[in-house]
This record gives sequence, structure tokens and C-alpha cells, in this order.
Amino acid sequence: MTEHTKQLLAYLKKAEYRRERTPGMIDVTDEIRGKSDLLRDALRFRVMLENETPKIFPYDNFGFRRSRGDFAYYTDENGSRSVQWSAGNLTPDYPKALALGMDGLRAELLSKREADGGAHADFYTAALETVDAALDYADRYREFAKNHAPDVLYRALCRVPHGPPESFYEACVFLQFMIFTLRCNRNTHLGLGRFDQYMLPFWRSDLEKGVPEETLFETLEEFFVSLNFDADIYQGMQLGDNGQSLMLGGYDLNGQDRYNELSVAVMNASLELRLIDPKINLRVNSKTPAERFLLATRMTKQGLGFPQYANDDVVVPGLIRLGYAPEDAADYTVAACWEFSIPGKGAEIVNIDQMVFPKVVRRELFAHLEACDSFDRLLEYVKLGVAFDAGEIVGKHSGHHYPASPWLSVFIEGCVQTGKDVSAYGAKYNNFGAHGVGIANAADSLAAVREVIYDKKECTKTELLRALEKNFEGYGELRNRLLSCPKMGSDDDRADEIARVLLETYADALNGKPNGAGGIFRAGTGSAHEYYYSARNVGATPDGRKAGEMYGSGFSPSLTGRPTGPLSCIRSFTKYDMTRLVNGGPLSMELHDSVFRDEEGVEKVAQLVMAFIRLGGHQLQLNSVNRDVLLDAREHPEAHRDLIVRVWGWSGYFTELDPQYQAHIIRRTEFLV
Amino acid sequence: MKQALIFSVEEFSVHDGPGIRATVFLKGCPLRCEWCHNPEGQRFENEIVKSQAGCENCGACVKAGGGRLNEKSVGVCPNRLLRMSGEPYTPSRLFERLRRLLPILSGAGGGVTFSGGEPLAHPDFLQETLALLKGQTHRAVQTSGYCDADTFRYILGQTDYFLYDLKLLDPALHKRYTGADNAPILGNFRILCGSGKPFITRIPLIPGVTDTEENLTAAARFLRENGVKTAELLPYNRLAGSKYASVGRRYAPGFDENALPHARTDIFRSFGVEPKVLWGDHVD
Ligand code: SF4
Repeated sequence: MTEHTKQLLAYLKKAEYRRERTPGMIDVTDEIRGKSDLLRDALRFRVMLENETPKIFPYDNFGFRRSRGDFAYYTDENGSRSVQWSAGNLTPDYPKALALGMDGLRAELLSKREADGGAHADFYTAALETVDAALDYADRYREFAKNHAPDVLYRALCRVPHGPPESFYEACVFLQFMIFTLRCNRNTHLGLGRFDQYMLPFWRSDLEKGVPEETLFETLEEFFVSLNFDADIYQGMQLGDNGQSLMLGGYDLNGQDRYNELSVAVMNASLELRLIDPKINLRVNSKTPAERFLLATRMTKQGLGFPQYANDDVVVPGLIRLGYAPEDAADYTVAACWEFSIPGKGAEIVNIDQMVFPKVVRRELFAHLEACDSFDRLLEYVKLGVAFDAGEIVGKHSGHHYPASPWLSVFIEGCVQTGKDVSAYGAKYNNFGAHGVGIANAADSLAAVREVIYDKKECTKTELLRALEKNFEGYGELRNRLLSCPKMGSDDDRADEIARVLLETYADALNGKPNGAGGIFRAGTGSAHEYYYSARNVGATPDGRKAGEMYGSGFSPSLTGRPTGPLSCIRSFTKYDMTRLVNGGPLSMELHDSVFRDEEGVEKVAQLVMAFIRLGGHQLQLNSVNRDVLLDAREHPEAHRDLIVRVWGWSGYFTELDPQYQAHIIRRTEFLV
Repeated sequence: MKQALIFSVEEFSVHDGPGIRATVFLKGCPLRCEWCHNPEGQRFENEIVKSQAGCENCGACVKAGGGRLNEKSVGVCPNRLLRMSGEPYTPSRLFERLRRLLPILSGAGGGVTFSGGEPLAHPDFLQETLALLKGQTHRAVQTSGYCDADTFRYILGQTDYFLYDLKLLDPALHKRYTGADNAPILGNFRILCGSGKPFITRIPLIPGVTDTEENLTAAARFLRENGVKTAELLPYNRLAGSKYASVGRRYAPGFDENALPHARTDIFRSFGVEPKVLWGDHVD
């Protein structure tokens, strides 16, 4: 890391710049009154930018910093205030923008408008309005930069974003412009996509021109630091939950490995910077060489929860199965956390709702347990219940759409061509995805019912239901018995087989169902914060979980059982046909940090990841943790401000998390030694 | 029926031999090393383990056990603080458990390690389990080497790799700190060296006990005499005492726990033995 980068990093960490922002929201009611939805959004964007004052930080070569800490709102006809979120959880078409420059994109919009003959005039007008608003700001910023920014930035701004960048640095400035404007427009959770692919030509041509690699690496690192500056404004559920994920590597349809020297540089930059943005994802398959896993494991060792692995052997066929064009499937990235999507082509609503498996199990138990004389009959009811809930998801969200977002649509293939905004399903892909929450709690619950009620008859149906109703109050011994029943994550087919049935039923009921948006629904295994939210109102379950207790995160063992170990866990979670669950959602595993204490340990963790990929797992996320450190950080946050942990699809500063998320992470480490 | 108590199967032990390994901990050990960090492994009889944090002193456990803690107590604790330490396994049942893991273990050049306690204290169980695993995966035994020579040879024939502890070379000191004679240990070590089986020697560095100049010199000389070229030195773990309370015992080592152990790699090198100091605080 250069001295200059260190200074920039130090400035970021002091976080003083956050206090310098102008507070307060901007009222755009007058400007947008009487306009169409599309135009409203475009005008809101313009006013938003007009209220931004160009700003740059010390040691900052990228600029485009937020001067305000908030967004625009308007008061609608009924007098209620609306602060509309815009579309998000997707990846703009960076490569195309970099190739054409904004003037090129503008010219394309103009010619398409021409050819369209007025049928989609509303969209083209709004889209052009956003392009002009953004360019106006860029011009204003360039004039500011002339006197206030480093000369390199001013010179770069004389070319970009109007024209296409000609160097790696200019390309980064272009990206910074896009990120700044899109985020100002409230497009949240925008991933960075396959950065090591679309930035590679710039990297290579700079090297050919004789730019030293160290200079390029410095630019790369400072760009990454740059991504962290205004991230606090764009947090979703918690600080860190902002979707700035980046995907590395991947195989094309001919099996050609696309991992390259820039991928390595990105890994090394992330290793050195130890920042929560960008979040690193790595595409691998069963043929990926061992040394790549080794480098990735060094990153895991740092405790940031990077990288998250995605298995091309599973994800690509899975996406093709859902109807994605093979070349698009091979180009997948993660939308924000783990949701597999196609950069620049998908305007999918990846987490539109969730299947909450334990809720279904509990409901069906209370409705049918007494009447079921065999476990298989009970399981049939649960399957019907899962299918019913899947049907509810389909019914409830059919025809749902994003709010109008012309500025984002400029960067999505399909929208510009057809004159349709992402809100009007202009994108090539408009599918909806669902979380699959609490699968382990559900499978464990049914495995316990089978064991204590049907197989061993240790307790009556009435007694069990009563114990659940009473939240195990006075049923401590029964609860202990339930806790000792087979658990998913222990490589015990008695639980895993039930999980398989539930997952297949869920996938059958959801995958491919038309969504009224020109797309389909897709099933996934993520949970995000639903491990907490969707658990709060669900009473005690027969796996021994008490009312309201949290589920496991994503596709992971429950917090309730005593885990058998990482190998059993990996086996347990690779028994299913994951090509049918490609909305994504990782298996998360915690490893004690002492595992990583020498190179031997690091090598073996890398081998563990390889085993997971070989066995057909779809997505994996490993954490190096130390329970004592976490407990201490909860008590003494001031001493642990730098402690970073993986939360769900993102990493954040432990001490800045709400208590329930801190508690979840600590629970996950309970049995680590 | 051959049966042994197993107090843990650790599925991803990274420091117990090559590759990804599962380590099986057999309960019971003829030695009583003062620095033992695994008191659960010492007794051959099953015992109750009670986690210390979280006990509300409700008394339910003692009541269920009829006035004391026993197997009946385990299921009643509302806070799940109690468990039986050992679980009885037959070789075939243990094999079934391990068999499921073999694709991962063997695919990564790893295998199964038997540790304890002292695995050689269960020779028939161990031999039979190792025989079941033959040809299926790499088999390692981590041992103090304390058993008669016939038993050692019996196990040697079914083992691919040893992790062999050498503690104290002086017989009297060995007896004092471990409660056992070191003659069989040194004898079996010679058998191992003569067998051509791959192994690694591990020397625990216990401050003031095993890390003395005399002992490390004797150990290094002994290694050279037997043609051994490498050794791993394992600094004393100051958390060694943390598990004693849970089995109702007190940790009272007769040495200064807080002194940093000396690794003295120079001594080993002077005897042509390349030492590797493993994790843990130490001074040279
Ligand atoms: S039953 Fe559990 S909480 Fe109650 S005294 Fe025994 S160990 Fe403590």
C-alpha cells in the first residue's frame, strides 16, 4: 500500500466527512406535480443533483462525493410524504457504458427514440432527461475539479463520463460517476458485477502503454477505498448491507477459465485493505486450481467473511434450466448479496418474498398431527402446505414491478432497445426470486416428530402440541429429548431426506411459475434478515426451538442443534439438487480462528472448500471467528471498532450491528472450540 | 464385544496429520501428565461433564440422579449443561460413522487419526477399526507410545502414520510428571524407527519440566541415535487447565504455568535435527 493510499484510508476511517454533510431532505413536490411516473423520477433525480455541491476529500483522486446526507421526497395528492426507493438489487451494464461513454449512450437513446416513432416517447424523454441531468452534474463537477481537485482527476473528467475512458484510472472515475449518480437516484444495492472482466482491457492496455503495475494497483486500491466513503448513506438493514458486491473469475461456455491477473490484483487489494466494501465473490468449479483456493482462504483468514464462493458447475446449468440463455447464464454475477443474476440484463426482483419453512411445519402440525396415523401422511400435509405458501407468493406478487427508474434503465439491456423502463419490464430478464428461510429448523422439526411420536412413541401427539403451545414451559425434559433428535447439518439422512422433500416441493411449486411480469419465479435458499424477522412471530417448533428464536442464516444448520462438525455439515448441505435453487443463498460455516494459525491450517481450509465444490454445493461462505473476541466486543465496543464480521450476504462492523444480529453471530459460534 | 468409549470425533482437525482429517478421541489413558489439557481423556470409566457457565443451581440434576450426578441427570438440565463424556462404540459402528466422511477425507489426501486419551490402551478395538479402514483412507495414530512392545507391533501393522510424543528422557522425571515409566515409550520408538513407517515426533515444551537444556539435549541425542531428522515442538498451552472443572477436578500443575517455555531450536540443530515450533507462546 502506498503512502498516499494509507492517507486516504486514514481519512476514511476518521469518518469526519460524514459530519460535514448538509442535513435535511429535499422537497421536490412542485417540480414533479402533474408529471408521469417516469418523468417524476427523472425530475426528482435532476433536483437531487442540483442540490448536490461538488465535493472532494484530501488524497481523493475520484471525487463525486455526497454533500448531502439524505434524499428527495415529495408530497402526493393525499398529502402523504413519499420517499420512493428506486429499483435495486441488480447490476448495471458497466461494460457497455464504459465502451460507449455517456455521449454514446445518449446518441443511442436519441436514435432509438427516432426509430420508435413516439410509442415510447415518455420513456425516452425521461431517460434523456436523466442523462442530461447526470451530465450537467458531471460538467459542474469538472469545473469544480479544475481548481479544487488533483489535476489527474480534472484531466480525466475532460474525457469521461462524456466519452469512453481510455485508461484504467479513467474507467474507475467513470464507475465512480455511475455509482454516485445511481445512488443519488436511490437505486440501492447495486453490485459491481464482473469487475475483473470488464476492467481487464483497461488494465492490460495501460500495462502495454508502460504504466507500472504498482501505479495501477494503487489506483485499484484507492478506488476500493473510495467505495466505502458514502456507503453509510446507502445502508439497507444495517451498515454494510449496501450490495457493493463484486464477482471474480468464472468459466465461459467452452469451459475457458476467465480468472486473470486483475482478479489476483483485486484479491490482493482486498486482502491489504480489510474494508467491508467491495464484498468479494469468487466463481469456481470442480476444476479450479488449488492455489486459487489458497489465496482465497488467506482472505477468509482475515475474518471479513470474504470471499463468498459460487459454483459454476451448479449455477450455470441451474440458470439455463430456468430459461436463461446459455451465454447469459455463463455471465452470471451476484445481484447484491448472493442472488445469482445477469449483469446488465436482469431487472429481477430477487427477494420479493420468502418461504418460511418452520412456519408451514408448525401450522400443518397443529392442523393435522392428531389425525395423521403415519408420518408419511403428515409429511404429505406439510408438502401441501409448502405448495400452498408458494402459491401465495405467486399470487401476491404477480405483476409486481419496480418503481419507475429511467436513470437505471439507461444501463439495462432491453430497456433502451424497447423503450420500456425497468418498471415496465423492459429488461431482458424480469424474474422474481424468493428466500427459503429456516429449512434446517423445519427438517429437524419433522425428524423429531417422526422419532418421538411415530417411531419411538415416547410422547403423545397431544402432549407435543401442548408443549409447543406452552413454549416448552414445564416440558424441559421433552425439549431436551427433541434437541437430541437428528439434525440437518449432521449428515443424518433422517433429517436430510426430509429437507430434500421440502426443498423439492418448494422448487416444484415456485420455479418457472409465470410472474405476470414477463418472467418467472425462482426458488432460493437465502434468508437475509428473515432469520430474525420471520422467526419472531413463529411459536415453538418441535426441533426444540423456542418461540421467536432465530433460525439459521440462509442455507445453514439451525442454531438449536449441537453441530457434528464441518465435514458432516458439508455433506448434509450438498445432498440436494441445487441447480433448482439458484435464486441463491449460501451455506455459512464458522471456523475458529485458531484453525488458520499456520499455513497448514490455511491449506486444509482451502481443501475443505474444494470438497464442497466437488460435492456439488452451490454457494459457500466461511467465517473465521473467535467467540471470546465477539463477546468482548459486545461488552467493550470501543476496543473493537475495526472488527468485521459476515452478517448475511454482506460484511459489516460488528460493533455497529443491532443487538439481534450480534446475538445471531455469537450463537453461531457456540460450539466452536 | 470389543467396545471403546469415544469422547469426541473432531471432523476437521488440521494439525493431526496430512490432509483433512477426522480425529477420534478414545477415552482412557495410563499416563497422568501434569500438563494434560484433555482431562476427559484420562479416565477409562464414563463420567459426566458439566459446562460451568449458566448453571442456575436449580438442583434438578442431582435430584434426578438420586442425590448425585449420574447418567439420569443428563436429560433434565433445563440449560443443557450436562452430558456424558464418552459414547460407547464398536469398531463397526465407528467405521459406519467415519465411512460417510471418507469421500471428503480421502479426496483431500487426508484420513483418520486416532487420539485420546491413549489409543494404544484399546488395542483390540483400535486394531479392528484400523483394519476396517485399511485401503479406504490414510490411518494415523497419535500416541504417547506407552504400551508393551507386542501391542505396539500389533497396531503398527495397521497404521500408516504416527504422531509420537516424546516427553521426558530421564526415567525418574518421566515417572514423576506422567506417573509412568518411559522405558516402553523409548523402546517402542525404536521399533517405530526400525519399521520404516512415516511418523512425526512431537515434544511438548512444558516450562521448567521438558524444556530444560538437559531434557532437550537428551531428546535431540535420542532422535539422532535413531536416525530421526525432524521434530515438532509444541509450546505449553496456558488454557490447558480450562476443562478440569467440567469433569469435577482441579488443575494443579507442579510447574510455573505462566513462565514461557524455551524452544531451544539450537540444541536440536546441533544434533542434526530440524525442529519446527508449532503455535503457542515461547522464547528461544
Ligand atoms: S440441572 Fe442444570 S442448571 Fe440445574 S443445577 Fe443441574 S446443571 Fe445447574
